[in-house]
Amino acid sequence: MTLDELLALTTPPEVLDLSQADLKRFFWKLKGCHKAQERDAAFWAATNENLKSAYEKLDEQERKLSQAYATIQADLGVAHQIQTALLPRPSRRMESDLEIAVHHRQLEQVGGDYYDYFTVDEGRLSSLPPGELPLPVQAGRYAIAVFDISGHGVSAALVMAYLKALFTQGMSEAEEPHLIVNLVNEQCIAFLRKIKRYASVNFVRFLPDRVQYVCGGGFGLILRQGEPHHFTRRDHFLGLRERPFRQYELPFAAGDLMVLHTDGIPEAQDAAGADYGTRRLYRLIGEHANERVEDILARCLDDYQRFRAVDVDDITLIILRRKGSR
Amino acid sequence: MSAPNDELLVMGATIQGFAQACVNLHIVAGRQTEGLVHDIDMMGMYPFERLRALERLVLHAYAHSAAILERVGMAMMLGWYHFGPGKQIVKTGADFLRFQSGSQGYASVVKGPENLVGFFRLVDLDERAGLAHVHSTTPFEKNLERGVLIGGMSAPADLDYIEVVNAEDPHHFRIEFH
Repeated sequence: MTLDELLALTTPPEVLDLSQADLKRFFWKLKGCHKAQERDAAFWAATNENLKSAYEKLDEQERKLSQAYATIQADLGVAHQIQTALLPRPSRRMESDLEIAVHHRQLEQVGGDYYDYFTVDEGRLSSLPPGELPLPVQAGRYAIAVFDISGHGVSAALVMAYLKALFTQGMSEAEEPHLIVNLVNEQCIAFLRKIKRYASVNFVRFLPDRVQYVCGGGFGLILRQGEPHHFTRRDHFLGLRERPFRQYELPFAAGDLMVLHTDGIPEAQDAAGADYGTRRLYRLIGEHANERVEDILARCLDDYQRFRAVDVDDITLIILRRKGSR
Repeated sequence: MSAPNDELLVMGATIQGFAQACVNLHIVAGRQTEGLVHDIDMMGMYPFERLRALERLVLHAYAHSAAILERVGMAMMLGWYHFGPGKQIVKTGADFLRFQSGSQGYASVVKGPENLVGFFRLVDLDERAGLAHVHSTTPFEKNLERGVLIGGMSAPADLDYIEVVNAEDPHHFRIEFH
């Protein structure tokens, strides 16, 4: 039997009879195997040492990352409180004129959905052009705006604070919604383009028996004696174009219902990928339009939560009704 | 390791061979080496510093780099033999020593001033006894070069045992083969 024949066997033979040359080869083959094993062992030892060192570095990085994460979470917690504090409460004047129900929920701790209540500067009323009568005290002196800033998280929240400041300033410089929104757009467009952000805007000024509004990508509906009147949505988003915004009017008298919202609810999807849609939302509101605004809002949220598979966006839904008898 | 010198050039195939060996062995430097050799042409000549940069990746990544560089050298030569021209050139392990010390071997892959290029000299070869002695002053890292000798001699698969030792003097490789 030769060495090659021997090595081809799967079990050792009963009698082993190798030539002197094959025995010599067998010796070197065995030594060669030992040598290869030594080299392998040295290679894997070096690799293992490297792996151990890598794991130690990884542990250290994870520890630092955990610390950084805890700091960020704490900061975000404060940011959430600040953003919540920035959300408005209706003035007594508004509460005397409107029933208001609001649902506002950010997807993350802070986010880009934002709504605000504005009061028209007292001085403005006294500086109306000659011949024009001042508006009644309870109306024409407040406005509601709903915004949806592109993106989520901290950057969107900071843009929100930025826009809030601009709108507060705008309210002191102009009275008509389109003039206010134009002023804000002129002031923010360069900056928002630079940081690649934009925002939908729905700005509504309340007048006796009607509203004036600017709608740049927002969603608005008035239900007047059961008839839906949709906001005209022909304008662009804030921070996208320099073109002036247009202003529209709709009747809004006692008993009429208004719905303002962002795209969070209509663009939510069920498990099959179907959109919730505005039609479903408005139909539900229409069916229960005579109930209290808080109850209508609760129905909308129940229906939304049953429908949607996961929350993927910030949500703002405001339902309000003008008080008083028809 | 001597200072970088752009007068010393190495063939692109050597740099690529090193990088490919790192990739094949899945060592830490593997992915980084790919990025460092994307512009290397196999037949082109490049500053030797390009190869040293690759060596440094391994040296920095491993606390005990000697066994790693030896394995890289072995893998380089197995690649050269099985996927390059090696199989046509050498038929036995001893052939590799003769080839490497000839004009087509080391002398063809490193160019530059004589004092920087150094030499790879087969001082002694006794095939019957299975012994050889190589004196090398090449600029290659000596653990890598030991791996090159082991890999190059084992690639034809005619030898059962190869031992290359340069522990006493890194420039003198004492080789036993059977």
